[in-house]
Amino acid sequence: MTEKLTISFTVNGMEEKREVPPHQTLLKFIREELKLTGTKEGCEVGECGACMVLLDNIPVNSCLVLAAELDGKELVTIEGLAKNGELDRVQKAFIDHAAFQCGYCTPGMIISARALLERNPNPTDEDISAALSGNLCRCGAYQEIRQAIKACSK
Amino acid sequence: MPAFTYQKCSDLSQAMKWLAEDKDTFLLAGGTDLLVGIRGGKFKARQVADIKDIEELKILKEDQKGITIGAGVTLNEIAQFEPVQKNVPILAEGCNSIGTYSVRNRATLVGNICNASPAADTAAPLYCLGAIVKIAGPGGERQVGIEDFFTGPGQSALKAGELVTAILIPKPYPQGKGVYKKASRTRSVDLATVGVAVQRWGQEVRIALGAVAPTPVRASSVEKAINEENVTDAAQAASLVEKDISPISDLRGSREYRYHISKVLVRRGLEETEEVCS
Ligand SMILES: Cc1cc2nc3c(=O)[nH]c(=O)nc-3n(C[C@H](O)[C@H](O)[C@H](O)COP(=O)(O)OP(=O)(O)OC[C@H]3O[C@@H](n4cnc5c(N)ncnc54)[C@H](O)[C@@H]3O)c2cc1C
Ligand code: FES
Ligand code: FES
Repeated sequence: MTEKLTISFTVNGMEEKREVPPHQTLLKFIREELKLTGTKEGCEVGECGACMVLLDNIPVNSCLVLAAELDGKELVTIEGLAKNGELDRVQKAFIDHAAFQCGYCTPGMIISARALLERNPNPTDEDISAALSGNLCRCGAYQEIRQAIKACSK
Repeated sequence: MPAFTYQKCSDLSQAMKWLAEDKDTFLLAGGTDLLVGIRGGKFKARQVADIKDIEELKILKEDQKGITIGAGVTLNEIAQFEPVQKNVPILAEGCNSIGTYSVRNRATLVGNICNASPAADTAAPLYCLGAIVKIAGPGGERQVGIEDFFTGPGQSALKAGELVTAILIPKPYPQGKGVYKKASRTRSVDLATVGVAVQRWGQEVRIALGAVAPTPVRASSVEKAINEENVTDAAQAASLVEKDISPISDLRGSREYRYHISKVLVRRGLEETEEVCS
């Protein structure tokens, strides 16, 4: 009953064409088909943000999106932020501020932070809290995460 | 995730065709209720029809009739739409109280009401604003008032084969302040234990509550006391809300707690909007 669908999209700047089962989530597709395992699986119901990716430049929970919905769209995962072997400034700031302990939430945090800084280069504490409301850190590195983002503000 | 087929719809007639062909077809907008529900076994979907990229459902505009919000428009887009912020900020507040920023990048207003949870956070603001639900189906187009749209927990006035195309926030807009107050177990991600919208309309007030009855409800007794019987004491008026609600106990709160917190939130809502009414 579930024939595969063909989807065309770009992932981290590369054009791709793949076949996907209609009920596969984008999260599963990214990890198991594209083998980009920087995107993490946590709750699978939209509550933790470990699975955050940019879809047409907007942060979304990839566990709440179907792979089929990727057709014609642009996907950026944590692996797509570094350019020419050099980490993005948000990634660097997270390292400089030790903005993690176990690191499981970090890819999702950085994706949300990057999107925030792009739409608002100088966010207040409140803006940061609102933009990262969908990213949980069970290690409680919130203060360091906030500092890392502030260090990237203009 | 249980298996289903996926249909991308490029126009409304396609969506209606899939609905007509298979009654186990579910419409997919943001998917934030649907996909969670399919995974959890609440929805048994054989087919999912994706309507979110249908051009005519992306409409978000203001004209002489009011503000029209298409079924493909996300909560974040609505909360950032200037005519909403300026004329009906209570709706922006309701939208912003849902889930998280990233959920609101996908979730739609129409999905929120079609899911028909008594706790839907946009419902109480929409009740206060007299929103109109635009519906398309095999029998043509029709519209119903938001208060007739919710018919029970998870149940709406939609008939087989019908879908919601848009919500209209009609003019005239309220003159006066409005607030949406939500009590939940945590300050971040949680459904409402009780949600209360209080909207001043000049000298009058409209009040609606979520999560305290099988559908969202207007607080008619409180409204009557203030609008018709000149009750000016907020606490006295708010205490009448117990006549308007019939809450149950569940994991978010007991029936008694809901009675209590409803009164508290109605009173606070009245106090916070008060200065504008006098
Ligand atoms: C982490 C998380 C937190 C949440 N927090 C809240 C919260 O605080 N408050 C709250 O109220 N909700 C909350 N929700 C629920 C959900 O996000 C909202 O109800 C949302 O607005 C649903 O919109 P959607 O576009 O994602 O709907 P979908 O999931 O796409 O659809 C919802 C239902 O409506 C049907 N439907 C969709 N569009 C139409 C249409 N045009 N015509 C007819 N039927 C249609 C679908 O088939 C489905 O049954 C939360 C969800 C998550 C995952
Ligand atoms: S895995 Fe997607 S939000 Fe938790
Ligand atoms: S660093 Fe461990 S979850 Fe955030």
